[in-house]
Amino acid sequence: MIRFADVGVGSGGEVRCSRCHGESQSISYRSASEIAAEIAMACELWDEPPGPNVALTGAEPFGHPELPVLVGAAVDAHCRRLCLETDAVALRSSQNAGGSLIAGVRHLRWIILGGTPGVHDVLLGTPGALDLSVEGVRSFRSIAAEESIPVSVTTVVPVCRHNVHDLPAAAGLAVDAGADRVLLRVEDGGLDLAAALPWIVAACDTGVVNGVWVEVEGVPFCLLAGYDLHLSDAVRERAGAKQPICIECPLDSVCAGVPAGASADQLAMLSPPSFAGTLAVSVLRARATRAE
Amino acid sequence: MATAPLRCAMLALNSPGYRSLALGYLRAYAQADRRLAGRVAFETLDLDTDVDPWWVAWRVLGLEPDVLAVSVTCWNARSVYEVCRIVASVRPECAIVLGGPEVGPAAEDVLTAHPEVGVVVRGEGEITFADLLCELAGSGKAWRVDGVTLRRNGEIVATPDRALVADLDDLPSPYLSGVLTPVDGGAYLETFRGCPHRCAYCFEGKGYGRIRSFSDERIAGEIEFVATAPGVRTFSFIDPVFNLTGERLKTLAMLMAPHVANGVRLHTIEVDIERIDDEAAALLRSAGVVTVETGPQTIGAGALEACHRPFHADRFAAGLAALRAVGISCECDLIVGLPGDDVYDFLAGLRYVLRLDPGKIQSSTLHVLPGTELWERAAELGLEFDREPSHEVIATPDVSFRDLRRAEVFASSLQSAYRARIGG
Repeated sequence: MIRFADVGVGSGGEVRCSRCHGESQSISYRSASEIAAEIAMACELWDEPPGPNVALTGAEPFGHPELPVLVGAAVDAHCRRLCLETDAVALRSSQNAGGSLIAGVRHLRWIILGGTPGVHDVLLGTPGALDLSVEGVRSFRSIAAEESIPVSVTTVVPVCRHNVHDLPAAAGLAVDAGADRVLLRVEDGGLDLAAALPWIVAACDTGVVNGVWVEVEGVPFCLLAGYDLHLSDAVRERAGAKQPICIECPLDSVCAGVPAGASADQLAMLSPPSFAGTLAVSVLRARATRAE
Repeated sequence: MATAPLRCAMLALNSPGYRSLALGYLRAYAQADRRLAGRVAFETLDLDTDVDPWWVAWRVLGLEPDVLAVSVTCWNARSVYEVCRIVASVRPECAIVLGGPEVGPAAEDVLTAHPEVGVVVRGEGEITFADLLCELAGSGKAWRVDGVTLRRNGEIVATPDRALVADLDDLPSPYLSGVLTPVDGGAYLETFRGCPHRCAYCFEGKGYGRIRSFSDERIAGEIEFVATAPGVRTFSFIDPVFNLTGERLKTLAMLMAPHVANGVRLHTIEVDIERIDDEAAALLRSAGVVTVETGPQTIGAGALEACHRPFHADRFAAGLAALRAVGISCECDLIVGLPGDDVYDFLAGLRYVLRLDPGKIQSSTLHVLPGTELWERAAELGLEFDREPSHEVIATPDVSFRDLRRAEVFASSLQSAYRARIGG
């Protein structure tokens, strides 16, 4: 419910599955003045409380040579909530963690690919990365607690076919590291949702029983019956509302936004390899599985 | 030969940093009662709710009490009952007397469930408790005291209700009598009893039925004492509606003004925000108010009707804007699990207050409290709730057990994210 304006600091080196996206691209950063201007504009144009809120995204922000300038620019622009999208490794340094907190960083989007080194490190292609990452988040939280600075950590998990089985572990790790929220972002159009749903549901339950909210993006409402509160859009709209992706779904015209059947003819309407089409296949498969 | 005075231990388990105003009133009244002079020796134990009940019992037993009197709320009741069991086991001759909103409205049930408890004081306790001590120190005929439920000849009997105190000034001030020492941030004053609202989930009015006020002179004396106490920079009022009337608000602002000039501030004042305009906001500011607490509790039409809550979105927003304009931060409270609300009504409420950007958002799960309308109508409304304190709702016809827990976790996450901002 709290919106952030994303401002990219650069590109390349993002935390993402190397099997889906290939080798990591080289990192390039935008100039501080360019980013600062975009931050100022985002704050000036902010029209809906609470805010303005800005997230520095894209390439690892701690790699930007002028990160303190960027944070200062956000503060100068009267940004209320400043978020860094990060792998958190740099936060192991108390100077980085303490410095960013004192400068004004209050939110982290901590990106991981799984809850175990066997998934995160392997998919990232960097042995030992997950442990360093967790250490960074703990350092950030610990210094924030010492300084009585309220912070919020969202663990973001880009979900794909290679890490879906590790989602409950990822939720557990987020709990353990002190996250306030977990965001499961389904980005893989080729993901078999029927097979993925039990893992997604288990991750939701893992979070709830441990007091950490788990939100799901990219899964149609119709697939998560009983878990619809966990859908990002569901917390903005009423039950039965469709996901934005539903507009693209070939079943949209026959779907009421709640679980419903679909015929072979409708299945034939699909036109892969679009994401919506693939998604619809998954929808049908999931429904068939449930019906059985 | 002179008889040794009755040793009365008075126990409260409070939120950390606070002292029990209720015990202060009880002791101040009893100590001023001439009938008890030289016959009862008082000792107050103001402890925190997080103290282990066994250590609380240790402290109580160290006083070797003849009477243990405990103020019970839904928040401390489980610990209190554990303390009582231990104390009764070690010192069975000690009479255990309970009072407070958790036990008064359910006195018979409490005595049935807790054989170690001897007496429950119902309703306003000052006079009843003093009368009870008179009997315990003398004839022992506690059943002659109005306003109690107790055991007599193996039966649980309730004596007639006691009339409310007609003139609140008859109750000595816990502060001015020296019973209660103000502590910074933890001192509370009370200027009236009762509540103009009749919210179905709330026991704030305590069934008093009408509003009774302390005199302006009494209030002035207490404000002067607390606001000038060494080390006190902030305190609060326990009144359910600080802006009860415009005139009253003016009086309080005037009484607070000299202390505000010395840097004293008021925190967590409960207000009826829909009645706050620019003038009222300015008066609150003059009174030194820095933070207020208010609803809406819900914005769902069904729950508002079921709970008899007034709510007008535009007036609410206007009140909040008026407060913000004078620099007063607001805590907006929401309750999940009210009858008539589904989980999406609760989320809509969160969204509504979030867009008002009040400063603090606090959500809590419904507690079906003894003595409230919801307690009486729970079965009719289909409210499943924990019969044990703190009586949290388990499920409603519109919100499942699982969705209630989800809503709690979601709200908690949202509150953290909202609170995490630059500049507080």
